[in-house]
Amino acid sequence: MKRRIIGLLGLALSASLIASACGSDSSSSSDTAASTDTLAIPGTDSSTPTAGGTIHILSQLEQITHLDPQRNYTGSDLAFVGSTMQRALTSYAYAPGSAGSQLVGDLATDTGTPTEGGKVWSFTLRGGATYEDGSEVTCADIAYGTSRVFATDIIVDGPTYAISYLDIPQDADGNSNYPGPYTATADQQALFDKAVSCSEDGKTITFTLSRIVADFNYTVTLLAFSPVPKAKDTGEKYDMAPVSSGPYKIESYEPGKSLVLVRNENWSKASDPIRNAYADSFVYEFALDPAVIDERLMADAGDDQYAVGDGGLQPENLQTVFTDDRFKDRRQDDYDPYVSFTAFNVKTVSCVEVRRAVYLGLDREALRTAGGGPYTGDFADGFVKPALADDYAPSKLPEGLNTDGTPNIESAKAALAEAKTKCPDVYAKATVEGLKFFHPDTPIWQKLVSIWIESLKAVGIVIKPTAVEPSKYYPTVQNEETDYDISRGAWGPDWPNASTMIPELFLTTGGFNLTRNGDDPAYKQFETDTKAALNELDRKAQGKKWQALNQFLVDQLWSIPGTFTKAQDLWGSKVGNAYRWSSSGSFLFGELYVKQ
Amino acid sequence: MSTTEATVGELHEYALIESKSPGRLAWERFRRDRVAVVASFVVLFFVGIALFAPLVCKALGINPLTLDRKALNDFGLPNGPFGAMSRKHLLGVEPGTGRDILARLIYGARISLFVGFVSTLLTTVIGVVLGIVAGYRRGKIDAVISRFTDLTLAFPSLLLIIALTRPFTQRLESLGVPEGNPARLTYIILVLSLFGWVYVARIVRGQTLALREREFVEAARASGAGHWHMVFKELLPNIWAPIIVIVSLSLPGYVAVESTLSFLGVGLLPPDASWGVMLGDSVKYYRADPTYLFVPGVALIVLVLAFNVMGDGIRDALDPKSDRQQLG
Amino acid sequence: MSAKVGTPLFYSPLSYLRIALITFIARRLLFALVLLAAVSLFTYLLFALLPTDPAALTCGKNCKPELIEANRVRLGYDKPIHEQYFQFVKGIFTGRTYGTGDIAFTCPAPSLGYSFNQHECVSSLIGKTFPVTAFLSLGAFILWMLLGVGTGTLAALHRGKWQDRLTSVITSIGVSLPTFYVGLLVLFSVVIWLQWLPFPHYASPSENLHDFLTAMILPWITLAVLSAASYTRITRNGVLEAMNEDFVRFGVAKGLKNRTVIRKYVLRAALIPIVTIAGLDFAALLGGAIVTESVFSLPGMGRLAIRSVTDSDLPVLVGTTLVAAVFIVMANTIVDIIYGILDPRVRLK
Repeated sequence: MKRRIIGLLGLALSASLIASACGSDSSSSSDTAASTDTLAIPGTDSSTPTAGGTIHILSQLEQITHLDPQRNYTGSDLAFVGSTMQRALTSYAYAPGSAGSQLVGDLATDTGTPTEGGKVWSFTLRGGATYEDGSEVTCADIAYGTSRVFATDIIVDGPTYAISYLDIPQDADGNSNYPGPYTATADQQALFDKAVSCSEDGKTITFTLSRIVADFNYTVTLLAFSPVPKAKDTGEKYDMAPVSSGPYKIESYEPGKSLVLVRNENWSKASDPIRNAYADSFVYEFALDPAVIDERLMADAGDDQYAVGDGGLQPENLQTVFTDDRFKDRRQDDYDPYVSFTAFNVKTVSCVEVRRAVYLGLDREALRTAGGGPYTGDFADGFVKPALADDYAPSKLPEGLNTDGTPNIESAKAALAEAKTKCPDVYAKATVEGLKFFHPDTPIWQKLVSIWIESLKAVGIVIKPTAVEPSKYYPTVQNEETDYDISRGAWGPDWPNASTMIPELFLTTGGFNLTRNGDDPAYKQFETDTKAALNELDRKAQGKKWQALNQFLVDQLWSIPGTFTKAQDLWGSKVGNAYRWSSSGSFLFGELYVKQ
Repeated sequence: MSTTEATVGELHEYALIESKSPGRLAWERFRRDRVAVVASFVVLFFVGIALFAPLVCKALGINPLTLDRKALNDFGLPNGPFGAMSRKHLLGVEPGTGRDILARLIYGARISLFVGFVSTLLTTVIGVVLGIVAGYRRGKIDAVISRFTDLTLAFPSLLLIIALTRPFTQRLESLGVPEGNPARLTYIILVLSLFGWVYVARIVRGQTLALREREFVEAARASGAGHWHMVFKELLPNIWAPIIVIVSLSLPGYVAVESTLSFLGVGLLPPDASWGVMLGDSVKYYRADPTYLFVPGVALIVLVLAFNVMGDGIRDALDPKSDRQQLG
Repeated sequence: MSAKVGTPLFYSPLSYLRIALITFIARRLLFALVLLAAVSLFTYLLFALLPTDPAALTCGKNCKPELIEANRVRLGYDKPIHEQYFQFVKGIFTGRTYGTGDIAFTCPAPSLGYSFNQHECVSSLIGKTFPVTAFLSLGAFILWMLLGVGTGTLAALHRGKWQDRLTSVITSIGVSLPTFYVGLLVLFSVVIWLQWLPFPHYASPSENLHDFLTAMILPWITLAVLSAASYTRITRNGVLEAMNEDFVRFGVAKGLKNRTVIRKYVLRAALIPIVTIAGLDFAALLGGAIVTESVFSLPGMGRLAIRSVTDSDLPVLVGTTLVAAVFIVMANTIVDIIYGILDPRVRLK
């Protein structure tokens, strides 16, 4: 999943960018020990949660990107919507630390039953769940919700696992034969109904997949598989007024102003063992200046004592917050699920020596400092974060790479000299013509790209920057026609398996491939190995495969590993349960309570 | 003093008075206005360092592009008071990169003044030409030009400038303008001129209309003067005064607009700097590095103020009764 | 229309002028309509001919070419430009329906389009944000007129003395300061350093008058003070010029008190051009005080417009540009008509 950026940590994009779903960080408890706070997990304390009060969420964005469950793919938004309004078949436990990565049943009684080796999955529904109008959540609703994903002209931006996993025939171009519930003929609808079916009594839902997916029960934590009552589906407009199956419902929603949630009287706690719904209401305030958000949280006056920010602290204010003890009990600094990286266009920068020269000569330390220093994160040694314990192993980095992030000009020049003989065209491109670096047009990137230009100048590599409007950045670089040499991105696992990192980033069929590496000589082997890893049922063995692939990627340098990023937050003094949820890397908004 | 002496003294004075041209008179009046003179020196100072930016920086041993990691602490902020002002960095360093602020101010002055001067030049030329033509020819041509003026004025300029930045710079680049900042700057200057000539034209037209009715113009026409003569010998010499005032007062306006555009994100691209870019960047450091907030702001205020005071001085010098003319 | 030679003389001069006035007003209104049509066409073309593909912008990140094509047809972007424009104009009068079948929806007249980013009809977005901009503009207008005209008159009356020189210096600074910088400094000083006011949080006056006032007072003051600087100068010049007019000297010669003279003759003469310029500025502000609204986080039309630029939300961009142009053209027309009423010579041009 992409990260949602709010001009945060140096290598991040600006607010209007959409991030995507979140996975889990199974070892975040060990990470929090690295923070400057006490050993207790920040945001938790021994007091018992109290019901009542209003929690405020301060945001720089104009609106929640998508309230429509099938279109929601932003980590923080999934956490917000999932903990307040949209239930799913399964969910991660609502708990701090590593407990927050445990899979539990939500609408389902447990975490599902695989048969045929993982090609067919069945979930028994708990029953008793109701929408805000009192009607019951039925198995058919879950199927209908899932089917909406196929209406790709209206339901855009959400995760499309349903399309790739469900056993529905596709045409030659890879498009599904099922066009979604709005335009399907009876025959086409039958195709879908075969793949997602409800039992006679409506108590069991069965998914028939086109291949083995060993962790499909993690996939269905995504709200893309949430129930939607067909009669209340308003298509494009559902994004503004979805029907709630959770403990809260929308009272008012004004983009650019606020979203107000109040209790859903028709939600029954008995049917929902996960959610506690302490607060009486939530007020999500939009369009605030990020500096103002930080100021208000620091000032902690009036209603702001019950407030949290949804975008993290600004780099400029990190010094103030982390060197002053008066914020001691309401700040945190720890890892989020994301890895940032810089991607090469392997078609044009087809020479690994040139890529290595860039990696060796880049002043990564200066980049990290510009973003806020060690608070930005650690230098990544690959594309799998240590938090994915099964899939991570320290990798062997290129010879000469300085671990402190400073440039190694001699090694870089040596690599470049190698490139001169091995691939003179790319060498000429890098040293004379210049590598086209497409970056988001934000103030922080203006500084970062200057550092790129200056530090690589010393090696002899020319960088030509092109600023892209932040809201169009990913569509631009993902467009095959765009002619760039270097771009950047950040990605996090959709669930705790590197199967949502490495294939998504580096397979040509992946959802976030910025490297266009299909023609690279090493690709064929990579593809075979990756597919083998995807089909590996033994989790431990699969983990070993991902580790090997990670090392392979570091050797190929189709992308340069960037940072294992961290996030910092501040919250109001009267907010409880303000821990960072390991699954989303954000607050677990629905669980916040007001300390009386 | 007895009457006789006074008379003799006055006669003596009269004998000593040379006849001076209006320009000369104006210059002397200007010189007597000490505030305006000081302002002019300030303006010349800024223009000078902007023109000779590379030499100035070399002499001071600073560079706007060099990153100075040592001047920053671990948070990426300047590691000294007042934005880490020191002998090496007289005005401190930029947070995040450690670049020298004084050097960036000097090079930024170059760009800001360049945009200001060229925009002013273009708007003045276009505005004067169209204004004179409209005022002089009257009738159909005047009507057409006036309608065109109304059309241009009807558009919300700032919004359009911002909205069209990216697509139009791309267009310019595809037409051969060098990529990056040259294209951006060309775009900014073009649009500022496209929207700005209107104000000059209106004033010039008004002045031309008024002048037309004056006796000396009537006389010239009656004596059979051709159009060129009318425009260049009768009208222009009497209009250049308000034009000069317009020029000196609109330039700081363009500098301010450029900084607003940069603040709104459609200004220059890295690693170059303009004062607007620095101002926009400095805002978020109001708590962590307030010096950075003030330095470019004070520089901008001083420059703009100097231009305005100089402009006022010029206007007062050109016509001591000029403060009775409505030029607002 | 000018009198033709040989016109029958039973048209009395007064009724002649009256006819001229009506014709003048009619012509002005007609011209305004033509201008608006030209502006709408020009704006639409400008954005339609941009290299960016509007269909691609409706799509989001997983944009497949087939999806873009489908959207293109659905939204009518596949039709030729003149047909698109026609649909757009028609929508202004009759409303417009999007999509087909169960999930179709309509934007009622006057429809300026539909924003896919914000899932709302453009007219409704503008309807919500306009009151904020209107309050901002009105408050600032009243303040800057009071401040500007008052100070300018004072400066004119004390010409040459220290009041005049001081005003001249202050207005010199104020005239070209960038609004955003002053606004930000004001915001930081008053709210953060001095803590005289809470953080501005806009609410409509009917909802919460206290929040409304605390949110508006700083932008009002910023806009008013900066605008007043130039109005001080204009007023000063205008008053000084009016004081030299013959009818003023006549009033003084008649023996009227200075104050009466100023009130009755000078100000009235000086104010007409000032008010007209102010009217035009006010109209321009109504079109969206972009910078002020951004700095003070006011949910007005200016901010809507800026947001539509960053989000590449073309329908909203076209809609806000058009509305802003409408205000400017309206103001210009009203001003011209007032001038026509007040000054008969103008009607006969």
